[in-house]
Amino acid sequence: MVHSMKKNNFLTTLKEMPMSIWNSVFRNNLPHTDLGRSKTSFTNFFLHIHPVKVHKHTLKPWFTMGLGLISLFLFIILTVTGVLLMFYYVPSTTQAYDRMLDLRGSVAFGVFLRNMHRWAAHGMVAAVFLHMCRVFFTGSYKKPREFNWVIGVFLFLLTLFSSFTGYLLPWDQLAFWAITVGTAIAGYAPVVGEQMRFLLLGDTTVGQEALLRFYVLHIAVLPIVMFLLVAVHFWRIRKDGGLSRPEDADVVETPEVTAPASVPAPAMAMAAASGSSGIVVLEKKHYGIQGLVRGPFTKVGNVPENTVFSYPNLLLAELFVFVLTVAGVIIVSAYFNAPLEEPVNVMHPPNPAKAPWYFLGLQEQVSYSAFWGGVGVPAIEVLILLLVPYFDRGVKGVGKWFAKERLLANTLFMVFVVVNIILIIIGTFFRGQNWEFVSPF
Amino acid sequence: MKMRLALAIASILILVVHGFIFYKQFFHKWETYQASYFDQARTLAKTDQEKDALSGRSAKIEQIIVTQFGNERVDRCTTCHIGSDDPRFKDAPHPYKAHPYSAELGDKQGADGKWERRHKFSDMGCTVCHDGQGRGLEEFYAHGEDEFWNDPMIGYVTQENWKYKDKLKGKEFMQANCAQCHTDKEFKSTPLVNKGRELFIQKNCYGCHRIEGISNGTLGPDLSEVGKKWKLDYIYESIVDPRANSKTSFMPKFNLSDDEVKALAIFLKSRRGFNYAETNLDRYRMTLNKGQVTPPAPVTDKSPVPAANDPVARGEQLINERACVACHKIGDKDGGIAPDLSFEGLIKEDKWVAAHFKDPRALVPDSIMPTFGFSDADYQAMTAYLVSQKKTPSLNNPQEIYTNLCLRCHGDKGDGHGTIATYLDPYPRDFTNAGFMNSKTDDRLMNSIKNGVPGTSMPAWGKVLNDDQVKGVLTYINQNFTKEARTEIKKRDVPEKNPVADTPESVAAGESIYLQRCTGCHGRKADGKGPNSLDILPRPRNLLNAGFINKAEDRRLFESILYGVQGTAMPPWIDYGLSKDDVGNVINYLRSLNKNKKDLVAMCH
Repeated sequence: MVHSMKKNNFLTTLKEMPMSIWNSVFRNNLPHTDLGRSKTSFTNFFLHIHPVKVHKHTLKPWFTMGLGLISLFLFIILTVTGVLLMFYYVPSTTQAYDRMLDLRGSVAFGVFLRNMHRWAAHGMVAAVFLHMCRVFFTGSYKKPREFNWVIGVFLFLLTLFSSFTGYLLPWDQLAFWAITVGTAIAGYAPVVGEQMRFLLLGDTTVGQEALLRFYVLHIAVLPIVMFLLVAVHFWRIRKDGGLSRPEDADVVETPEVTAPASVPAPAMAMAAASGSSGIVVLEKKHYGIQGLVRGPFTKVGNVPENTVFSYPNLLLAELFVFVLTVAGVIIVSAYFNAPLEEPVNVMHPPNPAKAPWYFLGLQEQVSYSAFWGGVGVPAIEVLILLLVPYFDRGVKGVGKWFAKERLLANTLFMVFVVVNIILIIIGTFFRGQNWEFVSPF
Repeated sequence: MKMRLALAIASILILVVHGFIFYKQFFHKWETYQASYFDQARTLAKTDQEKDALSGRSAKIEQIIVTQFGNERVDRCTTCHIGSDDPRFKDAPHPYKAHPYSAELGDKQGADGKWERRHKFSDMGCTVCHDGQGRGLEEFYAHGEDEFWNDPMIGYVTQENWKYKDKLKGKEFMQANCAQCHTDKEFKSTPLVNKGRELFIQKNCYGCHRIEGISNGTLGPDLSEVGKKWKLDYIYESIVDPRANSKTSFMPKFNLSDDEVKALAIFLKSRRGFNYAETNLDRYRMTLNKGQVTPPAPVTDKSPVPAANDPVARGEQLINERACVACHKIGDKDGGIAPDLSFEGLIKEDKWVAAHFKDPRALVPDSIMPTFGFSDADYQAMTAYLVSQKKTPSLNNPQEIYTNLCLRCHGDKGDGHGTIATYLDPYPRDFTNAGFMNSKTDDRLMNSIKNGVPGTSMPAWGKVLNDDQVKGVLTYINQNFTKEARTEIKKRDVPEKNPVADTPESVAAGESIYLQRCTGCHGRKADGKGPNSLDILPRPRNLLNAGFINKAEDRRLFESILYGVQGTAMPPWIDYGLSKDDVGNVINYLRSLNKNKKDLVAMCH
């Protein structure tokens, strides 16, 4: 009997095996209850970055336009295609160009991989910049999100630098001269300029050492730093109370709850901080660790039912942005080939030698004044960007596009954006031989 | 729900695009070619052996990896040209067509009628002879039609934007690649490379251009790697129209026939900085010899006429052989590039001519005349011939004088744009510039005509013309070109001699003023090539021109600096706060720059 029971048990075990494997991987089944939905977000490694519930305002497509997500997905696409490209690439001045020809000639999906990587890189520079504009124009960098804005600015600079270091790798004329111009701009910095340039190039001119350094920066150093900063960036979004939203976002939709809720909020936070009494509430309402979030955005007891479950609402929205991003990149990659110019000829600069497009604004400024255009003004711009949330301490107009209360700040930022875009357009289309003004028409 | 629908639509979109990409990826033209080749080969296969050979083969990328010629080459040409070494396909259309056998290429036909190739494809690959992009698998890239590929299939494929594409087709262009290994100067299968090499010497290209192992010219770009760096079209264009690609080039447009240009272009295309026949030891020896000027003189050796004994006759012979009139004018032969030598015996001394031959820029610092490395005896003979040119021209009126002596440089409109003006530095004076002309005294202008302008190409016409003739020409110039009545010239308070003593302190003070005020136009090196110089006509004076500066009196320099030069960009520095002492310091500085070249001044006239 014991024997048969054992056998029976074993059979049952076998029978249940697929389900137990499934259950061990996915801690709960597809959810049908609110408890299940929160657990899904909560217990999944990849989903637990989400809050269990998000505010409805966060899901409004025209508020974020998904720009941050697009940036992230482009980063992921770049990582995947980049790793694949690494299987073929050799950072050597004698081999790099031949490897490009191989990618184009005989590697399966070689052209397509290169195209995806190239266009996604350009796209990411644009998306990150636009994301920054969105955050500014909606006033979302204000307290308590100041430092996340600072991280964002660093991420933007890293994105530029990643794209720039990648630009050299094909080792064609376009790459060589763009980097020659770009690093020459770095050389204009006072005192440390030349040393900085030398450190970057490992030589006085762009050559094998520079190629190797750019390669290592491009495939290891910068992605790792960016990965960490992105993680912090996301973590802080949650810790700072989710995406920004206007003060009246809750008032309008659930006016009856707001009034009484304003009283217990501080008390609630205190309770949560001191321990046990908070947890009771949390269990009852299935808010999980959310209750520990500090600050005025704490949801517990404060913002009752203007939120929806992240699973599936947020997830679906993210998936949608992901699919759109991938679709955009592959469609562009199917129709436009990444450029590959002549092999490097150090004796023959193209005229004009142009930096990558996102640095053409800089190059245009450099054509007016080497120091101010290349170093002075950009340094001041970056400094101001970093300090923006500490200059602008007003709390009005958060979470609304072009809020009336922020007319001055928005106007100033708009001028900064438009001027830079105009400079880039001039540098890209209106500059011909010897950097003389030409009409593209 | 709406979101889910949108998501579904977007996903389907991605799927469709993927389908398209996969289709593009997996259906290659070369596979079609190979399939067709195998079909045809199967019907052609007669023996069992042939059939067996075929049965083991399937469609795949074929490649030949060549390691013995320069960097590793990967030639995938045979992926499409899969029948290239299959004699059964000798009459098939491209891309199946077999490469023809050719006795000229060294292929041998055995007793059984079978040919054996001299240049085995498995050893050589394809691009070593044909150029093109061996790694490409699409015709557009593989054949080098892509404008970013420097070496399209030579002689066969030209690129869309090539200016001279009509002239650049024909398999004789491939000789440029034969010469990569067959470096023998007399190699009979590369007649055009050989001819090009001869022309390179004959037309004096070597005087300006360096090609490793052939010449050491320094005036023009080094052409040792020209074939590797430039497309055939660019090389051709640079010979036919030197300023097409470089506006500042002073290379003359030589009068060459199409065949000559072609030979030169092919020869230059064969210069790739290395050749496969060289050993590393050869290359090392070459670098050891680099500093040594070993002038090529094959033209002399090949001279059909035996050397004459009389130095003048010998000189004439040499000057004709060396194509001096490819640039200069002597009598009625005119190359249209360099000064007239018809009156050389009258206007120059033999000492000057001999010294100028040896180092033209010691006497005329901005001259474009190359230093040819001829033997001393040759130089003596050539000098003897030139100074024998003493026939005084019979010139009856100022107009004839101007036309015969001045017009070639100063132009028929007197504006300084004569036929050879572009090749002269300083540029010939513009007589229509009334501001300048009327700010100078008659004496000064007469002096320039009579005694020439030292350090420039303006000769001392006083040795050909008498005072009345000089005066006549000046009047002619004034009436026809300047056209403004002479005006009273302001007397200016300028010292005859520099009042500031020539001390090291004064020179140092002068230098610091120079660096602050003058470098924008005259350049940091004082060579007249400052950043603004290109926008200025007349060009800023080269202040390192010892012949000119040392001959110019203090008074003249003082006046030019303090009160400016009217009609030019030189401003009156007195208005910008320079005192007489400052100017004196600057003059001492300028003189110090030219001090060690004093012995040359004696040579100038």
